[in-house]
Formats: sequence, C-alpha cells, structure tokens
Amino acid sequence: MSASARDCWLEQADGQATLFLAGAWHLPRIARIDAALAAAGIPASALVLDGAALHTLDTAAALALLRRIDGAGASVARLENFGVSHLRVIEAVVGRLGDIGAEARRRRHGPLAVLGMHVLEFRDLMLGHLDFLGRSAIALGDAALRPRVLRLRELAAQFHHVCVEAIPVVVLVTFLIGVVLAYLFGMQAEKYGANIFVVDGVAIGTTRELSPIIVAVIVAGRSGAAFTAQLGTMVLTEEIDAIRTLGLSPMQVLVIPRLLALVVALPLLVFVGDVSSMLGAMTAANPLLDITPATFIDRVHWALRLDHVIVGLVKSAVFAVFIAIIGCRMGMSVSRDSRSIGISTTSTVVQCIVAVILLDAFFAIVFQELGY
Amino acid sequence: MSEAPVIEVNAIVTRFGAQTVHDGVSFSIPRGQIAALIGGSGSGKSVLLREIIGLHRPNSGTVSLLGTDVWSAPEEELAALRQRFGMLFQDGALFSSLTVAQNVATPLIEHARVPEHLLGPLVRLRIALAGLPVDAATKMPSELSGGMRKRAAVARALALEPEMLFLDEPTSGLDPITARAFDSLLRFLCDDLGLTILVITHDLETLLAIVDRTIVLAGGKVIADGPVKEVMRVDDPWLQSYFRVRTMLEGPEMNRGT
Repeated sequence: MSASARDCWLEQADGQATLFLAGAWHLPRIARIDAALAAAGIPASALVLDGAALHTLDTAAALALLRRIDGAGASVARLENFGVSHLRVIEAVVGRLGDIGAEARRRRHGPLAVLGMHVLEFRDLMLGHLDFLGRSAIALGDAALRPRVLRLRELAAQFHHVCVEAIPVVVLVTFLIGVVLAYLFGMQAEKYGANIFVVDGVAIGTTRELSPIIVAVIVAGRSGAAFTAQLGTMVLTEEIDAIRTLGLSPMQVLVIPRLLALVVALPLLVFVGDVSSMLGAMTAANPLLDITPATFIDRVHWALRLDHVIVGLVKSAVFAVFIAIIGCRMGMSVSRDSRSIGISTTSTVVQCIVAVILLDAFFAIVFQELGY
Repeated sequence: MSEAPVIEVNAIVTRFGAQTVHDGVSFSIPRGQIAALIGGSGSGKSVLLREIIGLHRPNSGTVSLLGTDVWSAPEEELAALRQRFGMLFQDGALFSSLTVAQNVATPLIEHARVPEHLLGPLVRLRIALAGLPVDAATKMPSELSGGMRKRAAVARALALEPEMLFLDEPTSGLDPITARAFDSLLRFLCDDLGLTILVITHDLETLLAIVDRTIVLAGGKVIADGPVKEVMRVDDPWLQSYFRVRTMLEGPEMNRGT
C-alpha cells in the first residue's frame, strides 16, 4: 500500500461506494491529498464518506475533497463517523461553495480602447497642470497683494532643502562635466592646433545649455520627487484636509513657498554649476592642452558674452516653475493609498525631465530668432 | 488528552528607557478560546501582542506558542511557527499594490504547495469565510470600505489555516453594525474552525458578546483575568470607570448576564 493510498480509499459494499478518509488532512499535505483523491477513482454516484480514521481536517482539505467529488460527478449521500469539529469544518465549506464557484474577472480592454484611455488620461493630466498653474498664479498674486500670507519661515526651510543642500551634488556633477568636455573638445581641437578654442566651446556650451539642463535634471530628481512624496504623504494622512479645515490655504502654506524657493534656487544653482564646470575644464586643460589657468580665464573674458550666461539663468527660472508645479500638483492629486505615492513620484521625475528638455528646445529656437 | 495551553506568557518584563511597561505579565490561553486583552491607552497591550508574535523582544520573560518558545527557538522553527498563526494589524496592512485575491494568495504561494487548480477556489474560499462577497476578490484594497478591508485582512490571515489568530483592535473605526458582524465572524472562526483567538479591544460590546475570557492590563501587571462578568466586579478604579460608562448607557441591563 503506497503512502498516498493511506489518505483515502474506496470500498464497495451492497452497491454502495464508501470513501474512507484517514490521517492528517491539512494544508501542508494538500498536494498529496489532492493526488490521492484523484487516484482513488471516485465513481459518479452517491458516496458515503467515512471519517472514522481522520485525524485532522481543515478547510483547504475539505475544499479539495468536495471539488474532487463534484468533479467526478459524484455526490455525498451521507457522512459517517466524523468528529464534531470535522463536521463543522465541512459545513463551513459546503455553505460557501456556491459563492466561490465562478471566478470574477476584471473587464479587459482592446488596444484601441487602451490607446483612447491613455489619450484622455494625458489630456486630463495636462488640463490638471494648467489648472494648478492658474491657481498657483492666483495664490501668488494674493501673496503679492497681502505679503502677510506669505510663509517666510517655510520659504526659508524649503530654500535650504532645494538650494543649499543641493550644492555639493551640483558642484560635483558639473565639475566632472567640465573635465569631460575639455577632454573631448581638446582631442579634436588638438589636431588643428586650435587648443585655445576649447575654452570658447566649454564656456559657451556649459553656461548656455549644459549647466541649466543638468542642474534642472538633478533638481527634478531631488526636489521635484521630494515635493510629490511630501505632499502625497500629507494627502494620505489627511494633513492637507486638516489645513483646509483650519481655514488655511494649502496653496499658500505648501505650494507657494516651494514654488518661490525653487524659482530662486535653480538659477543660483545653475550659476554655481557654470563656475564649477569651468573650473573643471580649467583643471583638465592645464595638463592636457597646455592652457594655463591664467590663459584660460583671460580667454573666458574674451569669448564668453554675458548674454550666454543670462540666457542660461533665465531658462533655469522657467524650468524651476515647471518642476515646482509638476512636483506639487502630482503630490496634491495622489489617491489615498500608499502605492499611488510611488507611481506619482516616478511620474513627477519623468514629467519634469521631459518638460525641461522640451522647454530647452523651445528656448533654443526662440533665442535664435531673437538673435541672442 | 489534556492539552497544554496554546498561548503561554510568563513573567514578561518590558522597559523603554527608564519606563517600565510590563512588570511581570503572565497568563495562558487554552485551545479554542477567544481571549480579550484590555487596558488603558499606553498600558502596553500592542507591545505585548508584538512580543507574543515575535516582533519585539521583551527584556525578560518567556512567550510560548503551541509549545515553542518564541524568543529562544531557532529561526527555522520560528518560521514554521509563523505559519500556524495569523495576525490582523490595526489598519489591515493589506498590500496596496495587489488585489484582494492576490493578497490572500501571497502566503499560499509562498508557503504551501497548493495544486494549481485548487489555488483559485481556495483563495475564494478564504474570502468567503471572511464574509466578503466574491466580487471583492478582484478589487484593490483602496476600493474597499474600512469594514471590508478588515475582512480582507482576515482572509489573508486565514490563508494558511492558522491555529491562532491575533487581532489588534479589529472593530475600531467600524460602525456598530459592521463591528457586531465582525464579532460574529470571530465567534464562527473560533467555534467552527477551532481557532484560538487573542484580541486587543476597547469595544465593550465585543467583550460582552463574544469573548470567553478577559485579561486586564494595568500598571504593568495583569490585574484581572477571567470571564467578563467576574472582571467587572474587580475592585480597581480604572476597571470600575471603564465599565461604568456602559452602566450609564444601559442601566440595569448590565446584569442580564451574557
């Protein structure tokens, strides 16, 4: 007699089939029990179940038993010699068999419907951003008319987070970018003996394009994501509702300080990045291209018009508005579960970076046309 | 055969810094009982529960579940023990990125070798045993009401056929009707499925309706332990004022005997 045959066996007496159950019928042995039931050869007739040798029976095993009996087209005629607790378990399962028969399915959508939903979602997202931008503008106007509503303390705290604490990473990254640029430009320029033009390239390239974009991406990842996570958590813990209930405006208390802090901080960080990347280039240029720091600085004075720096700084202020608006709005609009904070934070970073690149392309054309 | 107690807590001492939360807490609970742990805010009920299920180490004392010492057992034994009890956290603690069915299926997939064709029905059986409608299975936790979320959490706690169930204030935040339905669910789990249940509660209705045994924690000690009718007579200021609220509400009905 094999091990699985001990779990249950079938006996025929006077044309009546009896299924004997024995041993421990519980979840850890469910696979064996199910296999034993399948192997028992349950006939498609009314069965007597005998539980005299049954040691334990839990709901999982009872379910396996009842489904196998049902699957064989058999039915239960009688239960014999079952313990009271085992009978209760069987009763509890039988009473719920009707509820669990059919698997409820979520409706699936075709590819066209999915595309349509994404388009609508995107439209709603953009309209939401626009709406939030408008409300921020109104709140800002309000703060300009009544400076008392402006939260200076919160503004200072936010400024510390988004600007002061970001300086090390900005310096490090832009310094290395300067080194890499000087090296790459230098390799090409050296072929023509045009070493000194590396300074022109690095100075104009970093101040006008690279420093604003790279710093904006860093800030989008640091502060944009932080705004969403902070405000999203506050939605989750009903703090935003509490602010409203106390007669305060979440826009004034939370959004405007973050917006202003970022609009001031980003151009400052970009300027830090400008200086740091040129220092990086200068450091690399000395040994690689025989350009001494004095020559480098002299050349920067000659080659770098102030226009380029100002274009970079102006752009970064606009980037800051978009990062702050996207970050705050995505935070304020999370639904009330922890999963959506993660989704919104990811979405914020992606949206911010895409927005920064798109704006930069837009500025490139506009400034070109304007002759800057 | 006379069984050893399912839950045995012996001389537990817990300190947080200079503050002593438990100063020698002992009790034991036999199989098939619903026991309630009551006590004022800050009396260390939740900490005690966390110590019983092995989440927080007491400074001294022993906890033994089904004969296994929680705080000296090797990790494998503890892992096996964890499958024999279910815990219902205060807010349900459902995984918010999974549907209710996936939440219930998680422990089954991790710990039990359930044949493929049985997994779906078994998950739905758990959901039905917890008193949820079938269509709740495909919903996300955020789409459920508070009462349904608690039931979904019970379904997940029941997934592995535990012998013990621990609950931390299961009826807080539920309306009275939902709370009473939840109470009868606990009674069903205890009577029909043979679970041993330890519940932290502030709900007097729960105490009077379904609990076999009330353990009162105050001042770091068990000050009363027994059927609720006996506990009500214990001469303790906190306990007296605790039950007085109810006497004020219902007057003489207090003595009807539950």
